[in-house]
Amino acid sequence: MVTERLTEFDPSRIKDQALRDLCNVLEGVRGKKSLVVDQALAGPLGLIAQFSLLQDYGVVQLHWIEDNNIDYTASKNILYIARCTAKNAYSIASQIKNAPRVPGQDFEHSLFFVPRRTPLCDRILEDEGVFGDVTINEYPLYFIPLEPDVLSLELDDAFEDLYLHKTYTSIFNSAKALMLLQQQYGLFPRITGKGDKGKRLLDALMRMRNEAAAEDASTSMALAPSSLIDNLIIIDRETDFVTPLLTQLTYEGLVDEIFGMNNSHVELDASLIGNAMQTPADSTGRSVGAPPAPQAKKRKVHLEGTDRVFTELRNVNFSAVPGILKKTALRIDADFKKKDDCKTVSEMKTYVTKVLGPAQKDRTSLSMHFNIAEVIQKHINTELFEKTLEVQQSLIAGYSSTQQHELLTELIARGASLETVLRLLCLYSTVNTGFKPKDFDLFRREILQGYGYEHVLTLAALEKVALFQSRTVAASAASRTNYDYLRNRLKLFSENVSESEPNDIVYVYSVYAPLSVRLVQCVIQKSEMAQAAKGEKTLGPSTAGWKGFEDVVKNVGGKTFDELQKAPQNMLTAKMILDGQNEKKVTVVFFLGGITYTEIAALRWIAKKEEGRRQIIIATTGIINGNKIIRAATADAQTKPAPH
Amino acid sequence: MASGLSNPTSTWERVSGQYYRKLTLFTPSWAEDDDFNLDDYLVTGAPFGGALALWKDPRKFHTYQGVQSAKPSIVICNLAGSLLRRITWDRGPIQAIGWSDDEHLLVVTSDGSVRCYYDLQGNFTQFSLGSDAEEHGVVSCRFWGTGFVALLGNNAFVTVNRYDEPRPRPLALPKLPTPESKVHSWAIIPPNYSDSRHVEVIMATDQTILIVDATESQDQILQNGPFHHISVSPNGSYVALYTGDGKVWVIDVKFQQKLSEYDSGKTGEIPIDVQWCGVDSVVLVWEDEVHMVGPNGAALRWYYDSRVNLVPEMDGIRMITTEKCEFLQRVPDVTRSIFEFGSASPPAGLLEAVGHLERKSPKADDAIQLIRPSLPEAVAACVQAAGHEFDVGWQKQLLKAASFGKSVLELYNSDDFVEMCKTLRVLNAVRYYEVGLGITMDQLERLTPDKLIERLVARQEHLLALRISDYLSLPTDKIYIHWACMKVKLSADDEDSICKDIVQKLKNERGIAYDAIAKAAFEEGRGRLATQLLNHEPRAGRQVPLLMSMEEDEIALDKAIESSDSDLVFYVLLHLKKKLPVATFFRMINNRPVAYSIIETSAKYQDTELLKDLYYQDDRKTDGANVILRESLAQENFTTRIDKLKLASKLLKDSKDHLIEAAALEESIRLLTLQESLERDIFEESFVGLPLNETIFKLTRLGFHPRANKIRTEFKMPDKRFWWIKLRGLVAKREWAEIEEWSKSKTSPIGWEPFFNECLSAGNTKVAAIFIPKCKNLSHTERINMWVQCGMVAKAGEEAVAARDYHALEALLPKATGAAIPEIQRMMQKLRPSR
Repeated sequence: MVTERLTEFDPSRIKDQALRDLCNVLEGVRGKKSLVVDQALAGPLGLIAQFSLLQDYGVVQLHWIEDNNIDYTASKNILYIARCTAKNAYSIASQIKNAPRVPGQDFEHSLFFVPRRTPLCDRILEDEGVFGDVTINEYPLYFIPLEPDVLSLELDDAFEDLYLHKTYTSIFNSAKALMLLQQQYGLFPRITGKGDKGKRLLDALMRMRNEAAAEDASTSMALAPSSLIDNLIIIDRETDFVTPLLTQLTYEGLVDEIFGMNNSHVELDASLIGNAMQTPADSTGRSVGAPPAPQAKKRKVHLEGTDRVFTELRNVNFSAVPGILKKTALRIDADFKKKDDCKTVSEMKTYVTKVLGPAQKDRTSLSMHFNIAEVIQKHINTELFEKTLEVQQSLIAGYSSTQQHELLTELIARGASLETVLRLLCLYSTVNTGFKPKDFDLFRREILQGYGYEHVLTLAALEKVALFQSRTVAASAASRTNYDYLRNRLKLFSENVSESEPNDIVYVYSVYAPLSVRLVQCVIQKSEMAQAAKGEKTLGPSTAGWKGFEDVVKNVGGKTFDELQKAPQNMLTAKMILDGQNEKKVTVVFFLGGITYTEIAALRWIAKKEEGRRQIIIATTGIINGNKIIRAATADAQTKPAPH
Repeated sequence: MASGLSNPTSTWERVSGQYYRKLTLFTPSWAEDDDFNLDDYLVTGAPFGGALALWKDPRKFHTYQGVQSAKPSIVICNLAGSLLRRITWDRGPIQAIGWSDDEHLLVVTSDGSVRCYYDLQGNFTQFSLGSDAEEHGVVSCRFWGTGFVALLGNNAFVTVNRYDEPRPRPLALPKLPTPESKVHSWAIIPPNYSDSRHVEVIMATDQTILIVDATESQDQILQNGPFHHISVSPNGSYVALYTGDGKVWVIDVKFQQKLSEYDSGKTGEIPIDVQWCGVDSVVLVWEDEVHMVGPNGAALRWYYDSRVNLVPEMDGIRMITTEKCEFLQRVPDVTRSIFEFGSASPPAGLLEAVGHLERKSPKADDAIQLIRPSLPEAVAACVQAAGHEFDVGWQKQLLKAASFGKSVLELYNSDDFVEMCKTLRVLNAVRYYEVGLGITMDQLERLTPDKLIERLVARQEHLLALRISDYLSLPTDKIYIHWACMKVKLSADDEDSICKDIVQKLKNERGIAYDAIAKAAFEEGRGRLATQLLNHEPRAGRQVPLLMSMEEDEIALDKAIESSDSDLVFYVLLHLKKKLPVATFFRMINNRPVAYSIIETSAKYQDTELLKDLYYQDDRKTDGANVILRESLAQENFTTRIDKLKLASKLLKDSKDHLIEAAALEESIRLLTLQESLERDIFEESFVGLPLNETIFKLTRLGFHPRANKIRTEFKMPDKRFWWIKLRGLVAKREWAEIEEWSKSKTSPIGWEPFFNECLSAGNTKVAAIFIPKCKNLSHTERINMWVQCGMVAKAGEEAVAARDYHALEALLPKATGAAIPEIQRMMQKLRPSR
């Protein structure tokens, strides 16, 4: 496939392509159809298309595969869209087998696997005896742009897959997605990264590159190093579990912590939203024919960059939020007043379209964010939240731990949520290289008595991920992140950064700079980082990769890599003539295993500093937070008797 | 005009203002054979000048030619009559034969089984059209580029959209006017030309026409039937109908408008075939008589010595007879503008100029000057016209003219010229009679050069394919692979030298799929050769399927792991799990962590017994215990639940490093039993499954303090925790008196601040205030604050006085209301003098 080489990084192309592909999927089945979707895909699909589009393409009803409740009277065309997992293949096979058989009225089953059709699923359908009854295709949905600077695979189970089950399906999918970027923009000239799973991803990428090069001659031109992208930085979540375990303190981070965000959508009480926002937010609603959901009080809202009010709020520390809300309110007020300046009809017309419309939209959005901020404020004023924050901040500051023990046991006794407590315990274990055996026993008992004995399973899972360990085990692990060393070397902890006008990324957690983002800075902001650690010689602008920070990466757990992808010299020059030399380089930062909103905010803060020199594109397997990590571990303990 | 070349217009004929030309593409070799008569055969041709399939017309009597030829066979030959393959037919009666755009031959038998011959070597895949077809039989079929529609004996239609994974699908049942109505004729609109983007059928029944698609059947309500032939134009826009009274109607495909009508004058005889020639004329054939109806209903007629077989193309029609293979098309506009008698168009002038030049006549320059203003267009026209010529001499002459023209121009982009020279070289090469492809330039453009290469490869023309690929800078890997596969299949050499030969020849080529070659070797029964070849395949993932069919299980698994594709690994594992004894299977995954994880994870959700076996085998007691623990959670029966817990606890104890967990599970059994008895004693409240802390909290909240105390001692709950839980429980119950009582009786191990806080957040400032004086460990400012929170400013003032903090008092003043104001002022007075 010869693709034209692009001279600008444009994620909207990816979205357009995804939408076009979706339309083709829907068009592939003639007439009215029932759409049956894998629940894990519902959110991602909602980011690509509105529900009304599905209706335009003849979808009369929408079901989840998991519910197994297709209404066969609505249409004789059943269209499945599902991730290519064995579980889905089995469920679909059993549904097809159990479809009612009406003589003379055959159901047409079509199945689109996302992102690809695999021999595994074919085999399962074959074994289950339905292979001949269904038309199988694929819908190559990989990256979905959440924002112009954020690409996500939206894999909900990437964390479990990578660190708990260690089945690594998401590594392959990530590699495929990154290969697609390389096919469009050329090879990443340099791949720098950290972490064992990150290394696996690098290996997979290298292998795919070689295979693509061996594939046929026509792709080789596209697979010359990119002149647009200068570096791919891979950060394995495993190298920095501390960051997601902490409570995020940016506005968007807190919305995620308190309300929980999924696929950029947050579910809110209708009372918080106000009136006008409700209609566009309903894109991922349930089936058309089904009666309105009983808990109609909840509404899904898509939080994204087109909302101007939200854009101003999302990345700032919450303590700066009231000020911005007030400023925005004044600004909107001023916008409304502008109508007094209009003299002529044409001026009035411009006012109505250019100023009034957006201002009205802003006003609705503002009232919603006022409400949200109020709820957040109430939440962070609670004693429990304060205590939690206190424990977190003293742990990352490296202060002595007896007092934290006290606080932790108190939190358990007071019935703080399991997520909160486990996040703190895991944080403790990670920062201090495990618990002393005595404390380890103590806290395990506290958890089991406080939250139920079934959490034996949770503790086992956390131990497997190396989040909650005894020091005897943790110390024997080959490479662990040494926070005591990094705290000073990378200035991870600092109490004198302004939260409203920050001069360092520390602001996202008020006192802590995410290690993951610091590592990115070690690659792209060498001089700033060197200055931060005083007494360092300044580094020339030409240094790249981990150079200058070898000691840092040595003290971070997991494998380190820094790989160059070169092209033959003659091809290089030819390409340079073809593409011209871009002044502004794009750096792609890939977070394997998920990224938090605070890290995105920190990276955006850096991107702003680097504006004009560099564009930062954030790519990831999905958005994550501490609660999601803990929930991955508690899943087994939630096992319930099957309903009858 | 150039000497030695016949005038191109000699093949032209004029009908209603348009010229048509009938070119003889080939004189087939069978024309020499006196014994051969094409009339005995039914003929179908592949589109884009492709191969012909001949089979003996079963409706005719044939001379008996001995036992040898008694077996029916399908003959595949090129347009020059050279045999490409003879396929011996051993299945039932053939009902239809057709070709796909990829030159796959489709043979449909009357019982609905379909064979797709995907190469020209006689290899095929086979599928059935389903039980309906089997029961009612196939009547006839209509083919398009990638699929076909079959009409069954019960007047139902079945369609197949693709041949790589054929899925026969029924169309809607045609709504026949009466149950006895017959289908007189039918045709299809291919998916790429229909509005719905799915195939549609146009069928004639009784007096009318029905349009049938996947969902419905629509009557067009015509009165003039029966229509004996229906033919859809290559662009899907028009339909030609042959009426019962010998007329041809051309109607738009929406059946809105009749565009032209032609009376053949043959009322009694129905033509054997009606097809479109391009998009503006229709050809009718009665055995050896041919009518071509142009636009406006004017017609040309020809008479032949034998039956004429029609093969419609996008830009014309091929007519195949015993004597020759002809191509009929409308003369392309550029060609017409150059060669039409008396044409004074610029390109005609240019052609004339080059004629003068060749004769060294000075008029050449005059001629050029005459057309000077439109010379660029003239050059372009000559280049285009060269492409439409079949005669190499004329191609040269036209290109010469173009070349002469562009030499006069100061600025000229030669890309088109060069491109045309290349195209013509390719066209001429494949039109050579030994290759026998009768393709036009327009067809090549539609077909694409890649597909042309595929056709050449299928004809074993590897060298030509390679030359053309190199010439057009197309990928060559597939040609090499095909060659190697053929070599593997046909070569009589020993395996080592075959492998050496292949590797030697292919080592410098990129992207060679050795897995495909190895597969061919394996299918040929050359297992060792297959293994040798497979080792040259760089893509680990692609080796897997073949390795699996070669039963090289362990290597297949390793290659799958190497490919980093977890789904592929799982695929291999699934296969192995079915095939191998459990112990062998476990041994195989034991030292392969990824495979192990995949089995572990999938078994966890689908096959817990397998998981238990796996852990047992590996002596992973803790994990084994966890599986059982999970089962106990999923268990509703209380006794079974306890039993499972006991088992899990025992396993944990054996593993030694999880004694805490083992003890915890024993504890949980005790707790569950206790909770069960609680439920029996305290009706309407559920306890089973609650955590220990919750249980005590709930008991406190419900007021069962002695029970709570008993459990607390039994489970050795630390004092601090118990106090917290009790406090929360009492606050939740709003048992303020009890709290007060309790706080008097003992010293709190958690201090009194929590008492204050909990009561305050519950809204009881009065009780909360009780605890402020008890908080002796706090600073006076904190206590002042606490009093203020309870709304007792005066009390706060007293605190300040006690600490002799004047500033605090000052700060309190604005917070004071009512009687508190003078109180505070009094206190301030009291403190001030001392300063």
